[in-house]
Amino acid sequence: MSHTDQARPMIQVNDLHHVYLRGTPLETTALKGVTMQICEGESVGIIGRTGAGKSTIVQHLNGLIRPREPGKVIIDGQDMSDPSVNVKAIRQKVGLVFQHPEQQLFERLVGDDIAFGPKKLGMLREERRERVKWAMEMVGLDFERFKDRFTFSLSGGEMRKVAIAGVLALQPRVLILDESTTGVDPRGRKELLARIVELHRHHEVTLIFVSPNMEEVANMVDRIYVIDDGRTVMGGTTREIFDRPEELRQYGLGVPQVTTVAHRLRERGLPITRIPLTVAEAEEDLWKILSS
Amino acid sequence: MEDFEFLRNVTVGQYFPGDSIVHRIDPRTKITVLILLAMVNAFIISYTGNIVLLAVCTAYVLVSGISLRFILSGLKPALPLIIMYAIMQLLFFGEAYAPYGLETQIYFEWWIITISNGSIQLVIVTLMRFLEILFLVSLLTATTTTTDLAHGVEGMLRPFQRIGVPAHEVSLIGTIALRFVPIFAEQLEIIMKAQASRGADFGGGSVWQFIKTARQMVALIVPLFVDAFRRAEDLILAMEARCYVGGKGRTHIEAFHMTTADFLIIAGNLVFAVLMLTFRTSFRV
Repeated sequence: MSHTDQARPMIQVNDLHHVYLRGTPLETTALKGVTMQICEGESVGIIGRTGAGKSTIVQHLNGLIRPREPGKVIIDGQDMSDPSVNVKAIRQKVGLVFQHPEQQLFERLVGDDIAFGPKKLGMLREERRERVKWAMEMVGLDFERFKDRFTFSLSGGEMRKVAIAGVLALQPRVLILDESTTGVDPRGRKELLARIVELHRHHEVTLIFVSPNMEEVANMVDRIYVIDDGRTVMGGTTREIFDRPEELRQYGLGVPQVTTVAHRLRERGLPITRIPLTVAEAEEDLWKILSS
Repeated sequence: MEDFEFLRNVTVGQYFPGDSIVHRIDPRTKITVLILLAMVNAFIISYTGNIVLLAVCTAYVLVSGISLRFILSGLKPALPLIIMYAIMQLLFFGEAYAPYGLETQIYFEWWIITISNGSIQLVIVTLMRFLEILFLVSLLTATTTTTDLAHGVEGMLRPFQRIGVPAHEVSLIGTIALRFVPIFAEQLEIIMKAQASRGADFGGGSVWQFIKTARQMVALIVPLFVDAFRRAEDLILAMEARCYVGGKGRTHIEAFHMTTADFLIIAGNLVFAVLMLTFRTSFRV
């Protein structure tokens, strides 16, 4: 927990409960007590099996769903249960990218679609252009080459990048990716994630990463919250969480494959002191063992 | 506060499991009753007639155990339109529309605006007729699964196959359309949330700002259509992959049998409809 102790809390969630379609015959309980705290500049993963409530949580984090008593969501010092909160400002601060974000594209030209957010913020033409250019660079789309392309003639991967750029164009201080990379080919996914890590490191964007892929989570984040059946059941650094594979299995989750391999090797007597989470770490450890 | 829960407002087309008599009767019976009462609804323009019909429809809803409040909540999204419609009827139909069973009385007249007892009757009766149809259609879809509904429609259309009515295809189209309503509502909710996440404001404005709302709709309608076409193509592929050919010689896992109760219900409603239609001019008001 490198900067948790000193850094300012950006997002605080306290005993959050949520019921969908409250008061109708289709009412379903999604959250039964979620508590988490995310500080400025952190990268945090939220994992849990399908239907655990991850999407419901992240929708609370930019005001799409408002907390109800006794739950509390405080974003950058603002209590989200206060009806007078400026949600638009919150949504600019906290950018949320959904699963299959390419489904939200609607403008004819790529540039116009990415400019949608900045335009809604009331920015002038030049400023918008700068924002669009910046956002396209961030996701790896060449501004001159792509800005006047037809949105719906792009490939799936390119559409996804455009959609993510559309959120980045707001220059949010917190970026939430809610399984936003599922369905992209492995290479495109790797590239996109590398760009997001860069955004997090160099532009100090707080990152909240929801993914069913444990390898990705291990690569991307410093800390993890585990959600099961609408409750926070585990929380800690990535290493702490992935050191408890038995417990994770109980919640229908696993650990990265290299971690499993390392655990098994240690059982067989190999002197592994630090359990690796990523391939790079495993490589490092192996070299150490081999050279000693 | 914004509310993105669209499913809350889509009451038509949603099925609620239950064990009431309305749930158990044959879908063909329900469709027949719906047609009969819709006919009554189309012809009755008096206050008394509509009060009777509305009472009958409400009674059916109560018997089914479906929450009346839930069905009524389906009115909410259509409310601005209904109110606008009512205002226009109230203001501009005063002269054109003679009140049913009453002497024309003009209460207010200025320029092209005329309010008479005729236009007031028109407004109230229109609203009641709207409610009756809403109750009946919501009740049919709330107590009948789409499969049952499709089989019901198909069964009723089968006699007309001889004269070229594509019974199976019609029922299939109907089923698909109904089945897609909640899916699109859900999809719309997702798109709306995604657009709101990048700065669009929906729901914040009042429902009365039509033009602003219409302009915002572009960001919703385009993605929704793209999604609809994609889903339609997926469905076509899935059907072709299973060599779907349609109705000829196809059997159903659940065969429907009309029971005595079904015939009694149809007979009762038929008598009611005939009486209402025969004596529709006898209601004084």
